[in-house]
Order: sequence, then structure tokens, then C-alpha cells
Amino acid sequence: MARDRHVREHDLSTAPELRARLHDLGESSAVIIDLDETTFVDSSILGVLVGGLRRARERDVPFGLVLGSNAHPAIRRIFELTGLHDVFPIYASRAEAQAALSGGAP
Amino acid sequence: MTGRTADVTLVVPAVPDSIAVIRQTVSGICEALGADPRAVGDIKLAATEAFTNVVLHAYAGRDDGTIELDARTTDHHLELLVRDHGNGMTPAPLAEGLGLGLPLIAALSTELTIVEAEGGGTEVSMTFALHDPPREQ
Repeated sequence: MARDRHVREHDLSTAPELRARLHDLGESSAVIIDLDETTFVDSSILGVLVGGLRRARERDVPFGLVLGSNAHPAIRRIFELTGLHDVFPIYASRAEAQAALSGGAP
Repeated sequence: MTGRTADVTLVVPAVPDSIAVIRQTVSGICEALGADPRAVGDIKLAATEAFTNVVLHAYAGRDDGTIELDARTTDHHLELLVRDHGNGMTPAPLAEGLGLGLPLIAALSTELTIVEAEGGGTEVSMTFALHDPPREQ
């Protein structure tokens, strides 16, 4: 399972690193992006996430985001403003995402 | 301008690493003005989208571009002017761009104007309420 824990603020300057991580799925059984400790993302990061979702789907790799109850309001807001909260599978915790996307395997 | 209480001007290179720097500046201005947390978040996002547009679209083929930010407060509002001296708002081919920048700015601001800057380039003027919720729930 590919895991990516995103911390703090992300924008055009960090988008290439995330894009590279999502491009190289390797033998990943699932992709889980944990946004619980992220305090800011912009539309360039959303674009990378949409690209990652598309790429994972092309390879039949499950893809999900973690946005728990303690997620930063700014993160929830951009997903709601753009309607992308309806596009991504979103889970309340990493454990929930793991259970849903990889059958509960650690 | 009547009621203006503070002005801040910042000029930075139009490169991705500058975006966080000026975002933190905008955040600091908002917090110093006592803006509501949600307004701070909205203003940071709109400003970031405007800065990103400059970095991606304004200076095609050039590496000497700048982003100019003017921040002005009037009563309970903050006006941000983001100015470049580039080639205008020409679309750039982006592999994963969603085209959400300007729609987000429009949704987050109370006023938005985009004009050609003096001497060429683009000037984006965005006004935000510091205290009132930008939209009804």
C-alpha cells in the first residue's frame, strides 16, 4: 500500500513531489492520502490529486483520501467549494480507509 | 482613500517558492487585522490562486518576472492587488490543471476585477470581508 502523509501547507512548490509519488504506483495495492495534518492545499494540489485518482483507476488501484473530524476547515472548504468531495472516496480515518481499500490488511 | 488604515507592498520573484512566502505575509496581515479564521483561510486560498496564476501564466519564456502584492485595508475589508508585468493572461498547457483558479477567487472574494496593468501585464484586484461570512450556509 502506498502511503503519503501530507503535513502543513501544499501548493505549486510541492505539487511536483506529490505528482511524482502518485505517478510511480509501483506494486501498490492502494493509495491513501492522509490530509488530517495538512492545513492548506490549493487548486494545483487538487489537480495533482485528480490526476492521481485517474491514474490509479486506470490501473485498478483503489484510491482514497483521509479527512477526519479534526481535519483543518480550510481543507474541507476547498473540497466543498470545488465539488471534489463528491469525486474522491473520503474516509474519516486511515484505519477506515485501509479497511475499505485493502480489505483491512495493514 | 478614505478609511484606509494600512498599506503593505511586497515584490517577489515569480517562482513557485515565492508563493508560500507571500501567502504567509497575507495570513499575517489578516491575523493582525483580527480577521475571522474562516476569512483568513479564504483570503489565503484566493491569494495563492492569484499568485499561482502569475507563476504559471504571466511570464512564458522568461525567468525574470516578479509578483507585486499591494494590500490595503478599508473599514472591515481587505483589498489585495496582485500585479505582474508579463504577457497577459495567456493559457499555458498544463497536464493536470483543473482551471479552478479564477473560479475559486471569484467564489471567495466579494469583488474581483482583472485589468491590464500599466506598462503591460495583468492586475487582479480582490476584496474580502474580514469579519462577515462570505456566504450564507
